[in-house]
Amino acid sequence: MTDFVFNSRRRSLFLTALIFGASLSLASPSFAQSVGLPAPRLLTTTPMGAKVGTQVEITISGEHIDDADELTFSDKRITAARKLDASGKPEANKYVVTVAADCPVGIHEARVMTRLGISSSRAFCVGTLDEAVRAAPNTTLATAMELKVNSICNAVMSARAADFYRFEATKGQRLIVDCATRGIDSKLDATVVIADAAGRDLLVERRGGALDFTAPADGKYVIKVHELTFKGGPAYYYRLGLSELSVGAPIVRLPATKPVNSFSWPPQGLKEQAELAEVEPNNDRMKAQKISLPCDITGSFFPAADVDVFEFEAKKGEVWWVEVASERFGLPTDPSLLVQHVARTGDAEKLTDVAELSDIPSPVKVSSNGYAYDGPPYNAGSADILGKLEIKEDGLHRLQLSDLFGGTRNDPKNVYRLVIRKAAPDFAVVAWALHMELRNGDRNAVSKPLALRGGATLALEVVAIRRDGFDGDIDLALEGLPEGVTASGLKIPAGQTRGLILVTANQNAPRAIGSATFLARGTINGEAVTRRGHMASHAWPIPDSWGEIPSPRLFADIPVSVSGLEFTPITLSPPKEMLTVTAGEKLTIPLLHTRRTEFSGGTLQLKTMGAGFDRTPPFDVTITADQSQAVLDTGALKTPPGDYLIAFYGGAVAKYRHRPDLVTTAEAAHKQATEELAVIDAELKKLIEAAKGAATDAKPEADKAVEAATAKHKTVTAAVTGAAEQVKKATAAAAPADIVDIIVSEPIAIRVNAPAK
Amino acid sequence: MPSNNNGSRRRGLRASLFLPLVGAIFAAIDSPTLNASEPRVSFVNDVMPVLTKSGCNVGVCHAKAGGGQKGFQLSLLGFEPLEDFEHLVKEGRNRRLFPGAPDRSLLLLKASGQVPHGGGVRLEAASDGYAVLREWIRQGVPYDTEATPKFVSFEVQPSHGSIQRKAEQQLKVLAKYSDGSVRDITGMALYEANDKAMADVTDRGLVKISDIVGNVAVMVRYQGRVAVYSASIPLGAPVENMPPSKSFVDDLVFGNLKLLGIPASPVCDDSTFLRRVTLDIGGRLPTEEESAAFLASKDEAKRDNVVNDLLQSPDYADFFANKWTALLKNRRDDASDTVSNFAFHAWVRDSFLANKPYDQFVRELLAATGTVIGNPPVAWYKRVKEPKQQIEDVAQLFLGVRMQCAQCHHHPFERWSQDDYYSLTAFFSQVGRKPSGTRGEDLIFHKRGLATAANIKTAIALKPAALGDVIPEITADEDPRLKLADWMGGKHNAFFAKSLVNRYWKHFFVRGLIEPEDDIRDTNPPTNPALLEALEKHFITSGFDLKELVRIITQSRAYQLSEVPNQHNIVDRQNYSRYYPRRLQAEVLLDAIDRLAGTQTDFANLPPGTRAVALPDNSYNASSQFLRVFGRPEAESVCECERVQSSSLAQSLHLLNAAELKAKLASPTGRAERLAKEDKPAEAKIRELYLAAFSREPRPPELKTALDYLNEPGNATNANWQDLIWALINTKEFLFNH
Repeated sequence: MTDFVFNSRRRSLFLTALIFGASLSLASPSFAQSVGLPAPRLLTTTPMGAKVGTQVEITISGEHIDDADELTFSDKRITAARKLDASGKPEANKYVVTVAADCPVGIHEARVMTRLGISSSRAFCVGTLDEAVRAAPNTTLATAMELKVNSICNAVMSARAADFYRFEATKGQRLIVDCATRGIDSKLDATVVIADAAGRDLLVERRGGALDFTAPADGKYVIKVHELTFKGGPAYYYRLGLSELSVGAPIVRLPATKPVNSFSWPPQGLKEQAELAEVEPNNDRMKAQKISLPCDITGSFFPAADVDVFEFEAKKGEVWWVEVASERFGLPTDPSLLVQHVARTGDAEKLTDVAELSDIPSPVKVSSNGYAYDGPPYNAGSADILGKLEIKEDGLHRLQLSDLFGGTRNDPKNVYRLVIRKAAPDFAVVAWALHMELRNGDRNAVSKPLALRGGATLALEVVAIRRDGFDGDIDLALEGLPEGVTASGLKIPAGQTRGLILVTANQNAPRAIGSATFLARGTINGEAVTRRGHMASHAWPIPDSWGEIPSPRLFADIPVSVSGLEFTPITLSPPKEMLTVTAGEKLTIPLLHTRRTEFSGGTLQLKTMGAGFDRTPPFDVTITADQSQAVLDTGALKTPPGDYLIAFYGGAVAKYRHRPDLVTTAEAAHKQATEELAVIDAELKKLIEAAKGAATDAKPEADKAVEAATAKHKTVTAAVTGAAEQVKKATAAAAPADIVDIIVSEPIAIRVNAPAK
Repeated sequence: MPSNNNGSRRRGLRASLFLPLVGAIFAAIDSPTLNASEPRVSFVNDVMPVLTKSGCNVGVCHAKAGGGQKGFQLSLLGFEPLEDFEHLVKEGRNRRLFPGAPDRSLLLLKASGQVPHGGGVRLEAASDGYAVLREWIRQGVPYDTEATPKFVSFEVQPSHGSIQRKAEQQLKVLAKYSDGSVRDITGMALYEANDKAMADVTDRGLVKISDIVGNVAVMVRYQGRVAVYSASIPLGAPVENMPPSKSFVDDLVFGNLKLLGIPASPVCDDSTFLRRVTLDIGGRLPTEEESAAFLASKDEAKRDNVVNDLLQSPDYADFFANKWTALLKNRRDDASDTVSNFAFHAWVRDSFLANKPYDQFVRELLAATGTVIGNPPVAWYKRVKEPKQQIEDVAQLFLGVRMQCAQCHHHPFERWSQDDYYSLTAFFSQVGRKPSGTRGEDLIFHKRGLATAANIKTAIALKPAALGDVIPEITADEDPRLKLADWMGGKHNAFFAKSLVNRYWKHFFVRGLIEPEDDIRDTNPPTNPALLEALEKHFITSGFDLKELVRIITQSRAYQLSEVPNQHNIVDRQNYSRYYPRRLQAEVLLDAIDRLAGTQTDFANLPPGTRAVALPDNSYNASSQFLRVFGRPEAESVCECERVQSSSLAQSLHLLNAAELKAKLASPTGRAERLAKEDKPAEAKIRELYLAAFSREPRPPELKTALDYLNEPGNATNANWQDLIWALINTKEFLFNH
């Protein structure tokens, strides 16, 4: 029943979208295609990590990585070589990975180079515990796998089951059971249970925390792991750690990737350790902790409903900036801060609100994860705090900090850092692959790697968190790109928070890979500053946003590659030189179409990206034509004089052909085999004839020759059949398939001149 | 004291109603139709009671929400006399009342059926009520003046007493007024027994007791106030050989039985106890091994020990999570509910596993903040979104108080006003929501600000107050829900612990000390007040320890009484002189059948072997005809009554020949197949079956019957073992906890 309802709803939404889509724009792509040109994605490595200073054999799996060659990591102290079989040939999808003794412990990125370019990244853990891999099914108490203390097991969650492990402990021994899942790109929401030897539950953790277990008696114990809703399969992998810890020692969690919004922390130049710690009890005005500004305090939202109260003196007219970090540490908190002026008359107090701060808003509208695409599924904002405190009156001020999510929760691990400073204007930026509505529900494009086809331009959406009133331009750049690849930053204009970077591979760019650096530049207090930006992406492609909530994270580095072997379906090229227009007039931009495949539909609707021109109404171009033109009306747009960088983009349905070169190769092989067969066929006929007429004494020899030729004929015939199969297979694979993708023009430089007076 | 009921009594009552009324009213006359010496009819004191007694202002008649009936609106049960006066006198183009010709007033014509009236004849033209209304109209339909005496209170005589079965008791109801006058209002009050099978009450206050023994209460209502007559109906049989007391539970249960003269059944045998307690605590049958070991044990403390073992087991957590998640509306309406429902169920289950104190459990639920995954009780706010719904659910589930009525009008049977309702709502007025990444789910937080809720009628913004108790000032920064939780968990809270211990008592004894278990009010007293109070105190003193509560209940002798009645206590339905058998719940029965048949029911996307009592939400009902037929709730209500425990033809047919049951019996990996193949004497196999089904050995006739059947030529086949198991399943001994 539930499924029926679900499907009906989906169907109904789908039909609604279809009808509306059709009625709004005939140029819109139909909804039958798949979304996103094939992109290489590394989805799993088994195991998912290795002990520092060891060598381990790894098996990979993913999408479009059949022809993977080099496996690389974000830290050069991890290296990999293809695993060779007994005959010395590389085994498919297998690598021997070496982790140097000096490799930092933590999360690193793994990816493979493929024909299409570099794959998406997968988290790879380097730790200090002994590693194990679950080899046999362990879904019953009887088949529980032994897990040694101070070891970590790599496993894939069994669907509709719990995985069982057993271990031994002595009375009073403190053991930490930690299960890495979401933090290593897995889809698993783990439930971890410690049970007695009979499998009876003793301790349960379902919220991603570690289990802190002190054995009540000597004996055997069991760990059960299952997905919250009992899902399983390759995407639901985990690393289960069991380690001994001395009583009283703090728990160190298994390493995890960073959430997207952590890009805005810490502020530039912040000391690693806070200068001050909160001192409990400081829960009410009578016990307020005295501080002076500026300050840098660390504290904890503990115990439940904790309110930390601080008091300081300030003078009218002072302006302070307040920043609190907690949620950006990856904690489930929502800090809220209130500052009040305190006027005392005897014992009576008159309190006046001065500032109430909570949440750093996302710079752009975040996806609601509905069926239609309504914004990027990345929240660069935070439940943390960043705001201004303007002192209105001299005197005592009381600041209270609490966790809006902490009313009933008792967890001292929910820490915060409170910084109050004089204005230190600054900014932080994060980028991700631009997505747009291509087909309802599909978020495939948001997880694609920066693997460029020749002639392609890929757009990255960039957002900024501006700190302490910084209001200037932010210029964007991507450096360290491979040969033939250029990046153009469509800057974040003054006062705004969104920009774009276009990464373009020219048609002749050679096959290559580079590690790019994302830089953002601005001028603060007359001084040029450069900040390193972060890149975010999703761990998994999401073909159906209705069924799965995206799980984005920051990535450690930015690999960029060019295929060199495959080209983008169409390149829209404007003139290379800067175009000029007088403010208030129209600018016509010719666009050259370099089309490499057929397209479904005759028109392509283009929108304009880039400050100053992004309000240009969408317009259609004939995709089948060799050229088209765009007209920008600076009068209607009221574009002020200045230099601009823009591009056009839209969704088009390409008739994509997968490896047509393989058809040619297969056909050539088939032709060669056929020719060989013809030769052997003729030869066989000749030998048969010769054998028929052979003298008695020569007969055995002739028959032998016929026999040999017959055998060869059979072999070659089989080869011809095999080659024909290959041709068929390659032809089928290369048959045009409708794939909708984002088409972005090459960047266009425009100078808007002031009108003559 | 029983009174005679004869023909002259009614006339006497009429006189006693009207004459004192007339005599009591000597107010100044300002109506032109009234002489100074004539008694003046009070609208509030005289007219309103007639309308209420006649049923004019009940919810289905003229007090129906949204305009009453045919444009004539009255306030429910007359709680708003001034409004009713306005409706009567000023609406209906003055057709309703004709002071010049009172009998032509539409009010009287309709009420007496002289013109067609949808509500039928409510007042005979010759009745006292008619005369009161007619006189009021004749006097010019005046409203009361400042001088009109105000109704202050009333009392029932007697207020309590012991009364024999089949006897009668005439109640007398006296009203007091602000001028010190007292009026007999017996004929104008309304009466209702809390257990109609035990007592019937006429509209003139004559209580007729049936043959059921125990305690019954009669609620008496007049002018928005209530009073109670409590009757104790003893059996008066000789009470000897009462089981020895183990705790205060036994003291108070057996003490009450002695008082009523109801002899208790003896303590049940070991098999019955083990099966009963395992079903009640673990929601499952005992295994054959458990039964064999328990029966063989000579340990005197073995019953106490098995209770402790069951409370330590995850089965306890699964079974009680199943109970609570249905009440907390863990309901799946969309696939996107899956994760939150699993998380919420798991939170409840883990809370019971860890024996989280009940006050803490409720606190975490009520004051939940954050995300569902980070803090699963937040899922309750996904299901119960509006503050009104929140307080109604909280009041009914955790306080045993039904507040729904008070949203629109004063509670008819209780002291709760609309102010009480909205003051309680105010606790939830500062629940903030932010959208989360998951469709349909919000992040929940405390929104800074002073908590208030406006009374829908007066528009006055009310501060949080908890059912008449004053709550200390709540500042804008404090989450009022935490203060509500503080109040609930207070040692002197009159509702919180009482509601829970009553609910749990009902879980183990089939009948609550107060019935229904979530309708605790002054007018619905417990059948054993001392026991309820003692349980409440014990629960609070233990630190709201749920396992301790279960322990004190199930380790009592009272819980362990046999279900077999003796010659006297067969009439007892509420004093726990014997165990009241109950059909197994849908989930428990399905698991029990699986256990006996040696099979597993496959639930979509859950691990094979998942028990029905461990299902996280209602969604599995859709695919299980068995669960639907046997009444597994859909988690739509906070009322335990949503679970259907009654029998039906469909249930019988299902057990007799449903394909699902047949498939279980015929399973190639099932018990029948194993028994058919196993090289073991048939007698041993039959013993195994009885141990599995009933936790006991077969009695000689049962063994003989089974062996005879199996020994018929060609009968020791798989099919015959299936028949035998089928027969056991279809016994009452199997289907019931007894």
